[in-house]
Amino acid sequence: MTSTHTNSHTEAAKMEQVITEFFYKSLLIILESRSSYVSSRNYSGEQIVSSPSSSSSSSSSVRPRDKWFNLALRECPSALENLDLCRQSNFEPVVVDVILEQKPLDWGPASFSPTSDIVRNLSSKNKNSYFWNSDQDESGSEMKCEKIIERWFVHHESRKGRDFNSGNRRSSCNNLSALYKKLILMLRSLYVTVRLLPAYNIFRDLNSSGLIRSFKLVPRVSSFVEPLTRKEEVDMQRFWFTPVDTSCGRLCLSVLYYSSISDMSSESSTPMSPQFIPDYVGSPLADPLRRFPSLPVSHGSPSSLPFSRRHSWSYDHYKASPPLVSFSPSPTHSESNALVSNPSSRGLPPMSLPPHPPEAPLAHKRDTNFDEYCPSPSFSASPSPSPSPSVPIYIPRTHLSKALLRSESAPVNIAAPKLANSPALSGRQNLPPSPPLKITRAGTSRTDNIRVPAETDATIEKIFSFGKEDCWKYSGVKAFSNSSPRISCSRSSSRSLQDDFDYSEFPCPFDVEDGEMMDPGSRPESYVRRGNPSDPNEAGLFMNRKSPDAAVGALVRMLEKAPPLRQNVSLNFSEASRPEILSNSVPKQSQISEAVTVEHAAAPNIASFRLVASKTTTDALEELRGYKVMKNLLLSEGGKAYTSSNVASAAEHSSTSKEVYSKFLDKNHAAIEGL
Amino acid sequence: MNCEVCQLKELEVEHFEIREVLRCILHTIVFHRALGLVRPKDVDLELFEITYVQCGDVELEKKIDEKIDHFISWVEKHPNKKSQICLSFYEVKSKQPSWFTNKTERLYWEQWYINLNVTQHPKHHSSKSHHTKLVVDPGESATEERSSRRAMVEASLREVLFQIIKFVNEKKDHVPPISEGVIYFPYEITIPSSSDSAFGMDMIKRMLHSGHPTMLS
Repeated sequence: MTSTHTNSHTEAAKMEQVITEFFYKSLLIILESRSSYVSSRNYSGEQIVSSPSSSSSSSSSVRPRDKWFNLALRECPSALENLDLCRQSNFEPVVVDVILEQKPLDWGPASFSPTSDIVRNLSSKNKNSYFWNSDQDESGSEMKCEKIIERWFVHHESRKGRDFNSGNRRSSCNNLSALYKKLILMLRSLYVTVRLLPAYNIFRDLNSSGLIRSFKLVPRVSSFVEPLTRKEEVDMQRFWFTPVDTSCGRLCLSVLYYSSISDMSSESSTPMSPQFIPDYVGSPLADPLRRFPSLPVSHGSPSSLPFSRRHSWSYDHYKASPPLVSFSPSPTHSESNALVSNPSSRGLPPMSLPPHPPEAPLAHKRDTNFDEYCPSPSFSASPSPSPSPSVPIYIPRTHLSKALLRSESAPVNIAAPKLANSPALSGRQNLPPSPPLKITRAGTSRTDNIRVPAETDATIEKIFSFGKEDCWKYSGVKAFSNSSPRISCSRSSSRSLQDDFDYSEFPCPFDVEDGEMMDPGSRPESYVRRGNPSDPNEAGLFMNRKSPDAAVGALVRMLEKAPPLRQNVSLNFSEASRPEILSNSVPKQSQISEAVTVEHAAAPNIASFRLVASKTTTDALEELRGYKVMKNLLLSEGGKAYTSSNVASAAEHSSTSKEVYSKFLDKNHAAIEGL
Repeated sequence: MNCEVCQLKELEVEHFEIREVLRCILHTIVFHRALGLVRPKDVDLELFEITYVQCGDVELEKKIDEKIDHFISWVEKHPNKKSQICLSFYEVKSKQPSWFTNKTERLYWEQWYINLNVTQHPKHHSSKSHHTKLVVDPGESATEERSSRRAMVEASLREVLFQIIKFVNEKKDHVPPISEGVIYFPYEITIPSSSDSAFGMDMIKRMLHSGHPTMLS
């Protein structure tokens, strides 16, 4: 009697212990597959292979708790914390809520709101817009969002009225061993089931990718939870594990889960849907020949990238001459999007690589103009450029315009971010100051070889659509699929910078409409009309009202400073002006002395010259012919009668004029021959 | 003891998917029947977004891979055929030896039939382009078709895995008691042999070994 009672008590105690350990084991299986960084998944890689032959050795490495139900798992701290909950004598239900917690993100533009995107996405997919525990404002950055994606129930239903102490010992043992076997089978199927449910994909992505996400899985263990709403229960699916009868009841295990969470996990890691930014501007200081590396599509790890990646270049915009502005193509932006975005999530950029660097307050302007394509000036504080793909970088309009004004050339690196080894481009970060590309400034002529890769019209137009101050003018730009033509751009004299390009000879990928790029004051029409008072040489060309001596002097100075025709097919004295020159010269000769007449004739002739931008060699040849005619005229009329009083001055002027003119002709003779 | 039989849902797979699908199914079943001390090993499928569990036993893994290789060889010789792989669990019982039977007999207490329909890769529409005037980009349509087909196979595989879980949960009484030091129950993987008649011979052999009349069902 006593022994029977003792045995029954022992059996009951064993049963209770088995049930308690079942609670703990099931909790462990659920938590270790839902808690980040605590998983037998990671443990399995270093596991000791258990085999019948090595059972002794393997058992030595097995913890006592691992032997329960013959399932060796890694310890889970959260499960240990809840062990007391499992050890309750009355076996109260244990509920494990697996919560998808969305951390708040501080996104600048309202349009870029991954939190709201996820909320909307979940709402649209799961129709549980009210299920999120926090209210979302438009920015979605105030409160974190929580969503219960799984709810596990582990409980023991007690069966009253059954005396488990009764029965013989053998039946009890049989019952216990049978129970133990069945619980082993149940736990095996539980272990497999937790890995087949959608939430496991989120867990796996969180653990395997190593990214710092804005969302996480948070299992919550409790005995009492708020019941789910009817709608939630309708949307969720339930899976029942077949209950296992015990001597005093039965052990039940079930789960409520969303079947569509896998879709969310595959989207929520991306910060935003890939967007095509056609005017993305890449780094001008980066290696122009280096292509942005392609990104891994799945589970990219932008967190490992240096923070400087977002600053693909750095330049001190406070310097006088900003570096070349390199316009990166939109594929770079798509790569950068892929970088910051994880294919397993959507709207959730990695914390380590926010798309908008904090030190770039001007970044991420969503203007429709070229601002989007401009590198941020605040990147001067960034480390050395490393042109791996990153987020698009933005600079304000003013900075880009200044950069373009001061830069010698603006390679457009869009389709193929490879620039030729142009001495103008390679290895430079800060170009020497160069005169602005304005007609009005007489300056040194310089030839810049620019290799311009292919570009689309829309992008080019957008890039240069800002230009009110810049005087680059390109025409005939079309999409070049393969060619990277080398363009000799002469930015020279005051005469006509827009005329520097012979468009028929140098196909230029830039196509900017007339007047779009030019300074209003530098347009030929306005230039002809009003000239540029800042340039005395040019001003003299239009001074009809100055004295003949001054006019000749102006002409002489102009000829002296005129750039070689080879680099400057600039001057275009239209054909219409030549007859005017010749015709004007005749009536004025009779009025004053010959020298004066000549000079005076030259003045209106010169004054009547139109600095019309000529873009053809034909015009240049016409100019030369004009010069020759003038020379002959001067020579012929210089040798005619001079008044005695003006012989000296006339001779001086004429000889000076002749010398200067001869020099000019000689200087340009080779150029003309070359044409 | 009755032999519980589970006919799994037929899966339509392509040749390159056979290995992963069979590994997933066979290891899942064996894991449920490896009632000894195991350290489960999670394995992610490469072709599908599914993680299955292995016992972690190297020998078991080798044997399963060998059987899968044999099956693949058979499939290559018999293309476009429905096939069946039988995973059987048995107990070894000693028997009085007779002149046409062995001393020991296998008592099969559970059989799993994995039904596969191995299909060839569908041809692209471009192969028939000369018959049609409409020019269809084969790349995009083939990719979409492949991805949709892949999703279907994945969904079917999940169904099969849940079918296994449900079967394991619903039927527990027929499982023999756990032997000390035994990791998993003795098993046998039967694949179709070179001739169809040989498959039937395998069944007859099994009957002779077991001597159980219910094996005929």
